[in-house]
Amino acid sequence: MRSQRKCDLAAGVFIAFLGAVVILAASQIRGDVEERLPPRTLPYVVGFMTFAGGVGLGVKAYRFRGKDPEILWPEKDGWVRIGVNLLLLALFTAFMDPLGMPITTGLYVAGAIWYMDRKRILTALLTGAGSALVVYYLFIRFLELTFPLGPLGQ
Amino acid sequence: MLFSWDLLLTGFVDALTWSNLFWAFVGCLVGTLIGVLPGIGPSAGIAILLPMTTMIPPTSGIIMMAAIFYGAMYGGSTTAIVVNIPGEASSVPTAIDGYEMAKQGRAGAALGISAISSFVAGTLGLVGLTFFAPLLANFALAFGPPEYFALMFMALSLVISLSGRALLKGMIATSIGLLSSLIGQNPLTGAARLTFGVVDLMAGLNFISIIIGLFAVSEVMINVERAATHIYGTKIRGWMPTWAEIRQCGGTMVRSSGIGFFLGLLPGCAPAVTTFIAYDVEKRISKTPERFGKGAIEGVAAPEGANNATSSAGFVPLFAFGLPTGPALAVLMGGLMMYGLQPGPMLFQTNPQFVWAVIASMYIGNVILLVMNLPLVGFWARIALIPFPVLGPLIILCSVIGAYSIRFMLFDVWVALLFGVVGYAMRKLHFPIAPLVLATVLAQMLETSLQQSLLISQGSWLIFFNRPIAGAFMALALASIARGIWIQVRSHAPEIAIDDADV
Repeated sequence: MRSQRKCDLAAGVFIAFLGAVVILAASQIRGDVEERLPPRTLPYVVGFMTFAGGVGLGVKAYRFRGKDPEILWPEKDGWVRIGVNLLLLALFTAFMDPLGMPITTGLYVAGAIWYMDRKRILTALLTGAGSALVVYYLFIRFLELTFPLGPLGQ
Repeated sequence: MLFSWDLLLTGFVDALTWSNLFWAFVGCLVGTLIGVLPGIGPSAGIAILLPMTTMIPPTSGIIMMAAIFYGAMYGGSTTAIVVNIPGEASSVPTAIDGYEMAKQGRAGAALGISAISSFVAGTLGLVGLTFFAPLLANFALAFGPPEYFALMFMALSLVISLSGRALLKGMIATSIGLLSSLIGQNPLTGAARLTFGVVDLMAGLNFISIIIGLFAVSEVMINVERAATHIYGTKIRGWMPTWAEIRQCGGTMVRSSGIGFFLGLLPGCAPAVTTFIAYDVEKRISKTPERFGKGAIEGVAAPEGANNATSSAGFVPLFAFGLPTGPALAVLMGGLMMYGLQPGPMLFQTNPQFVWAVIASMYIGNVILLVMNLPLVGFWARIALIPFPVLGPLIILCSVIGAYSIRFMLFDVWVALLFGVVGYAMRKLHFPIAPLVLATVLAQMLETSLQQSLLISQGSWLIFFNRPIAGAFMALALASIARGIWIQVRSHAPEIAIDDADV
């Protein structure tokens, strides 16, 4: 869907739906309605703002009849690259607790560099190892930030 | 609190001793590093180093901690400009034009003007601190919850109106920002809101994770998509701003100093607010507002100036009333109390030598920071020369460390990842990002001041209009909204923010 108009229409519908969900969720917030500002008031207001914004955007896009700008979505290769990088980032986050920050850092940095440039195997390994050491010695040892250590903490 | 030349000169004599100069230098160096490093802000930096300062005399200790505070303000813009990671909300406006300049090969010039503007505004802020503190602090006392609410409402409406033709998208972005901040517990009553039964959501979404996702993660996605070999393809040209550019930014620096200083006197009025207002004012008065968002050098000078002037201004209520205006100053106040010094009007009478030595050391610290930062400009700008396949994962690593170390919750990293995807979609669909960021940052203060105002007025909303200062802010906000609606009604073009008004 490269048409700005169609994308705005779809975004408008999605945002209006999000607004409707917020309004519904706000109606279930418990609290004293006799307060000067009951706890559900602001969620209601923001939910209505979101809903109205979504409807407005959808209607404006639907009624638009001028020259339609094109949205530059990536080609298939681009989507694959984004998907793999997001997957690597998700794995990095998911394994941070069991493997610890230094080890996951090393694996993620080395893996991501290698994926984006297969010729840089040595750079990937050295940068990965260097990053892991920086995380361990600078952030964990020196600054004493409480990052998960995984097996290194045992 | 009284000003006297004798006391100021005595302060300079104290601040210029070798020992105090050394600790001011150490503070500036550590502060700059804290500003550049992800995951550790000035509050955390001062808190970590606070126990270590017990080994040095009180005056030197406070001089060093104050230097860490304003040094971090200098360093904070570096990652925003070079790799589009604004580690603090106050660096967001700097990233808008700073990163655009970097993409044009002018990272050095952006970093240079940032350091110069920080120096000018920091020094002007100190002049204000030295001479006008009593008068200005009295004015700040006139601000109650209604005035704060009106001020923040005005800041939000100004930023939405910055969206240009994409007013609806600006409004939606604001709604999403407010929505993100409403998730979790009500700040006053503790009631759970919009958590959908998810325990992690009870703690709310931290705005730093959101900012990191919107800017850094989405930027990496954009570069990954096009298989970039370097984060920006252009060659670096010019390590420093030209004299003409510095002169061009002269007025900007003075104006942003004024905005940053006066608004910075207000407790709770963080640099995140003043930098956006300074940026907006500069764009509005510019003869070529279309350059903003595309690498206008004034767009870097304005927020950086406001940021540092706000930092200087924060010392006025801290010294005069014992009132910290932000978390970092609250930690600094803890340091003063650790040494048995009670900030407040009596501090100037009981320990004048100490107070004036600290104030004098800030003038010296500003010079140290300028001298230290300008030669480093080339070093930071060279980061852009690192091939993207290597730099991209390192940016992500910094983002993960930054997001995780706010509350040491893995959940915050997932939030950054989610908002990375949101930011990518917003960029592609031409939604403005600044209203979302500002709404996220201001939401809690906005809500608290609204609740307090309605308590004071016993539920009457007229309180925002029948007090002169609040009324003036509300009038400006409504005028800004009316102008935006007028532009929207007249426009028959599709909603596009990025091309004509950027964020």
